[in-house]
Amino acid sequence: MKSAIELSVIVPVVERYDAVAELYGLYKKALEESRRPYEIIYVIDGDFGEVMESLKRLIAEGEKIKIIKLARRFGEATAMTIGIQHSSGSIIFTLPAYQQVEAYEIPRLIESLKNYDMVIARRWPRKDSLFNRFQSAVFHMFLNPVSEYKFRDIGCGVRVFRKQVAQEVSIYGDQHRFLPILAHKYGFRVREVDAAQSPKDTLKRIYSLGTYVQRMLDIFTILFLVKFTKKPLRFFGILGSAVFTAGFFILLYLLIVKIFQGVALAGRPILLLGTLLIVLGVQVFAIGLIGEIIIFTHAKDIKEYTVDQIIN
Amino acid sequence: MKDLSVIAPLYNEEECVRLLYEAIVRVLDPLHLDHEILFVDDGSKDKTFRIASELAQRDERLRVIGFRKNFGQTPAMAAGIDHAHGRILITMDGDLQNDPEDIPRFIEKIEEGFDIVCGWREKRQDKLITRKIPSKVANWLIGKVTGVPIRDNGCSLKGYRAEVIKAIPLYSEMHRFIPAMASIAGSRIAQIPVRHHARKYGKSKYGLSRIYKVFLDLLMIKTVVLFTSRPMVWFGVMASLAAAGGLLTFAYTIAQWSRSVGDSLVVLNGTAMLLGILALFLLFAGALSELVHKTGNLKMTTLADIRASFTGFEKQNLEG
Repeated sequence: MKSAIELSVIVPVVERYDAVAELYGLYKKALEESRRPYEIIYVIDGDFGEVMESLKRLIAEGEKIKIIKLARRFGEATAMTIGIQHSSGSIIFTLPAYQQVEAYEIPRLIESLKNYDMVIARRWPRKDSLFNRFQSAVFHMFLNPVSEYKFRDIGCGVRVFRKQVAQEVSIYGDQHRFLPILAHKYGFRVREVDAAQSPKDTLKRIYSLGTYVQRMLDIFTILFLVKFTKKPLRFFGILGSAVFTAGFFILLYLLIVKIFQGVALAGRPILLLGTLLIVLGVQVFAIGLIGEIIIFTHAKDIKEYTVDQIIN
Repeated sequence: MKDLSVIAPLYNEEECVRLLYEAIVRVLDPLHLDHEILFVDDGSKDKTFRIASELAQRDERLRVIGFRKNFGQTPAMAAGIDHAHGRILITMDGDLQNDPEDIPRFIEKIEEGFDIVCGWREKRQDKLITRKIPSKVANWLIGKVTGVPIRDNGCSLKGYRAEVIKAIPLYSEMHRFIPAMASIAGSRIAQIPVRHHARKYGKSKYGLSRIYKVFLDLLMIKTVVLFTSRPMVWFGVMASLAAAGGLLTFAYTIAQWSRSVGDSLVVLNGTAMLLGILALFLLFAGALSELVHKTGNLKMTTLADIRASFTGFEKQNLEG
């Protein structure tokens, strides 16, 4: 019986959640429409007493739901990873615990996976406020130079993908958000599919300043992961050399001035700047070298390629 | 365990695949070895993978590994090496520029007891300015820096004892430094001249842009090579330079003490302090990378154990 499951729906309960029973009903109806044997797994990240009770009530009513409750808050990426570990289908469908897209779009999203390895929903047409759209646009403006595939709604939690994707692409921390970018980098076929946004998703999203800083750091991390994972020396090397060169030219200038015009070095505060830049340049370069040694000593564990098929 | 694996990375080589396969088979069949051929398709956009798979359906000794997308020559080699079952591995280009006829001579050399046999292209059929000259310079530089004077690092036709090559980390553009890295572990290296043909089909996929990558990789290799022999030397030398600069500046400040006033003292002392800080930073960086190096699971040090007759690296082996 268990092996017959094709589709594993994972609902991580992390922060926001809508009325559980109602949403479950919507999802269930849509999933039944797609006519594939499926299972629903709720992963509860920490203490959500209300959600637990609603789910238990649903189970008591005879619904087949798998509940995984984490001992404390681990974050969405961990919740997702654990959910995937406990899933038995070959296709993973993640749905947020609050409604992001209209439930009737679900069967179509599943179908569109046919020729792809990962399909992520893009909430379109959008119904939410200008402010939300504005901050999302800014976020993607910073993000897109990093990624080869131009994503327009990476924040959407509605994603369908083959289990292989999650197995081959390792994510941690807050990176689940960037799974599509990493998957694309690893050579999986990824695409965005438009799905009507649910009117319930229009809540104005204003985060704390810390969250915005966190997002920026995330983009920096992903830049580093996508472009320089195995070549830290390239990244830090260029940066360090640039800073070093700037410092070098300042010192060169001072030296020329001293030799030809007899201006004492000690009288030039810019000497400090020049030295500072050189020192910084060397430090950045040294960090790159350490990074490279880390990669070098672990290179046998990290595969730089992903194999699609092996014949014979 | 098979006797021999021949590994060829392919990237958009639809015209060459069949010819290459036939040429390799023509050479290997008379040898009567238990062999396999590995074609690694590096995410080709043409029919390379399809043609290779068709060939593989008829010959089970041909194995084809298909990448999800283009990852580069080194990862393709690495994949071939990871999946190979042979006792001896031969790597070669997929574009027919190397001649499979040379393979038996590689096997002979390995049977003689060498761990790595590097081919060098005797009459190289490439463009002078964009290929030959940069390659000459790179070879000279690599030889000088690593202390392993390989004539032609860019030649893909090489033979390896499997346990040696499988222990060497391969990523980025590292395949050029295999001999240098192997020498760290005391492998014995031979070089033999090989034939080289002009490219008949397709066009060259690798250009001048790699030079600077090679340079950075070289720097890294040098650091690692130094680490395995004399820990912290690299960082230590740089730290001493910075410390010397700082001390000199400081001494100069002291000497000028009576004559200078206010601002100039601040500037000089500041400079001295910065250099002192750099020296400290580099020392710490050295200690940190020492730690990383010790805790990493670099298997190269175990290579020495694999080779019962550990003889160290001998330069005369390179004359071959």
